[in-house]
Amino acid sequence: MFDGTPDEISKLVEPGRVHRRVYTDNNIFELEMERIFGRAWMFAGHTSQIPNPGDYVTSDIGRQPIIFIRHKDGKPKVLLNRCAHRGPKVCNEPCGNAKALTCLYHGWTYDTDGSLIDVSMPEGAAPHFDKKNFGLAKAPRMGEYRGFVFVSLANKGVSFNDFLGSMKANIDDLVDRAPDGEIMLDAGIHRYFFRGNWKLQVENVLDSYHVPYSHASTVNKKGEQFSRREGDDEGAQVVEGKTEKTADAWKGRRSYVVDFGHGWTSNTELKEKERSSPAYDAYKVALAEKVGQERMEEILVPEFHNSLLYPNCSIMGLNIHVRIIRPISTDLTEVTVYPVRLKGAPDEMNSANIRLLNVTHSATSFVQTDDLESFRRTQVGLQSLQSEWIDLSRGMGEEEPDPHYNATRESAMHEMAIRAQYQAWLHYMREAA
Amino acid sequence: MDSLILPTTPAAGGIEGIDREPFEKFLIHEGRLLDDRKFEAWMELFTEDGLYWVPSTQDQPDPFNQASLFFDDRQLMKTRIERLRHPRIHIQTPPSRTNHMVSNVIVEEADENAESFLVSSSMMMGEYRLDVQRFFMGRQFHRLVREGNTFRITLKRVNLINCDSAFEAMAVPI
Repeated sequence: MFDGTPDEISKLVEPGRVHRRVYTDNNIFELEMERIFGRAWMFAGHTSQIPNPGDYVTSDIGRQPIIFIRHKDGKPKVLLNRCAHRGPKVCNEPCGNAKALTCLYHGWTYDTDGSLIDVSMPEGAAPHFDKKNFGLAKAPRMGEYRGFVFVSLANKGVSFNDFLGSMKANIDDLVDRAPDGEIMLDAGIHRYFFRGNWKLQVENVLDSYHVPYSHASTVNKKGEQFSRREGDDEGAQVVEGKTEKTADAWKGRRSYVVDFGHGWTSNTELKEKERSSPAYDAYKVALAEKVGQERMEEILVPEFHNSLLYPNCSIMGLNIHVRIIRPISTDLTEVTVYPVRLKGAPDEMNSANIRLLNVTHSATSFVQTDDLESFRRTQVGLQSLQSEWIDLSRGMGEEEPDPHYNATRESAMHEMAIRAQYQAWLHYMREAA
Repeated sequence: MDSLILPTTPAAGGIEGIDREPFEKFLIHEGRLLDDRKFEAWMELFTEDGLYWVPSTQDQPDPFNQASLFFDDRQLMKTRIERLRHPRIHIQTPPSRTNHMVSNVIVEEADENAESFLVSSSMMMGEYRLDVQRFFMGRQFHRLVREGNTFRITLKRVNLINCDSAFEAMAVPI
């Protein structure tokens, strides 16, 4: 049997390949819930989702339901959405505002910081019963950076600051685009699922190699992808029009990795000088008014195409959004996509970003749907017992240090970023609780 | 945009004295074009400034400040349909089979000259692909303008009952 010993875990990842069981084995999935999703710093919400005291949003970290709520003292809290009495989910709505949280079952009532304030028929409580011991459980550790609230469900481990490390720059790259220096995740969500393992979506985030073939249906006869940004006439040159071979510009993309499995791909090359539209031009003016012309021009050539905070948070710089990948079972995964509104930008610009996201990263989108089909088919293919290994060897040995970012880099057509994810995976998974 | 807003107190049974049949015929025809994968002809039902909107929340006020499942103008419809025709659209290999049903048609609004209308109807689309069958159900609203013996669509809005659920990939318009 599989016990999850460090030795058993280590055998699943070899240089340049991983065993099929990491995607198909229920025992491994259970361990991932404990050892990765129960430990790593996980996105719990953004402060813009809960502007007022009592505002809350419910979601899940892995399979564990949480409440992201602003307490009456104004501070955000992350509580486990589970009544301390007999266990029902207390908050049942996706979002709302509450003065107190009351469980439907026996009416236990909690304050907005999770402390138990009222128990029905207190005269029947056991003699030793003390309300102080029965609050909603809090996420043991919480950290915030520019409105992004992360929690760790483990009492100890790497600090939030160390976990985020140089990835702060990737968050800055997005947030700095707001003239007021703040983003808002308050423009609804896209939510979709696929019948495949969660890691298939995570790997895909920094995989530029799949784009020319997987997303062939999104490029025109000239090999350019449809426009994914306001003000562009067309998107990136992905393939050469006639030959359909991968375009040099696309091949020039790089990927970068840092600690903990985090990484990013370089910016997509687009015609920045020709980018123009009434909404985009008005946005440029609004941004320049706040940060000056020089800084505005710097900000508008984003450094990063897509960034991954391993294990499950993707921050997209091209058509801006935040994406959270949530495992439900070995072969079922839900993805939540948050459109980003830039505070201080003209409404037309924010609206354009929201509209473009509908066609790039929704359940109905032109891009994501073909990825979802790849993930589904991979999960089916991996049922084959004749081939035990998944090959991730592209570019092995070609990794090189990048002094500018203090990272390791390689062509984004290679698989370094995925190999780095599995090193992080091993790091979490080898350590027993 | 005013055209995106729906009446809050719809007339029970619709406006008196307007024959529902031409509208029913039109809606049945529209669904049939989608089921027959005649996407280009379906797009041509829309006026040049026509909009196709499937909100992602109940009572979504507008498609500009919030995510939508679909919010296509003619240009996005064209891109979507060109992709549906691409030989390497993996999510449609093999293609979905769909069937639309339309009923409970109500003429909610008509202008004085009987040239433009708001029509609501109950819709259901069954979709089948690779051993998975699923259903989309809701109330749809069509803003229509008369053109000769038929109509063109200035707005199609579909309020799905499960608009805010998580969806498996959806490649074809509803």
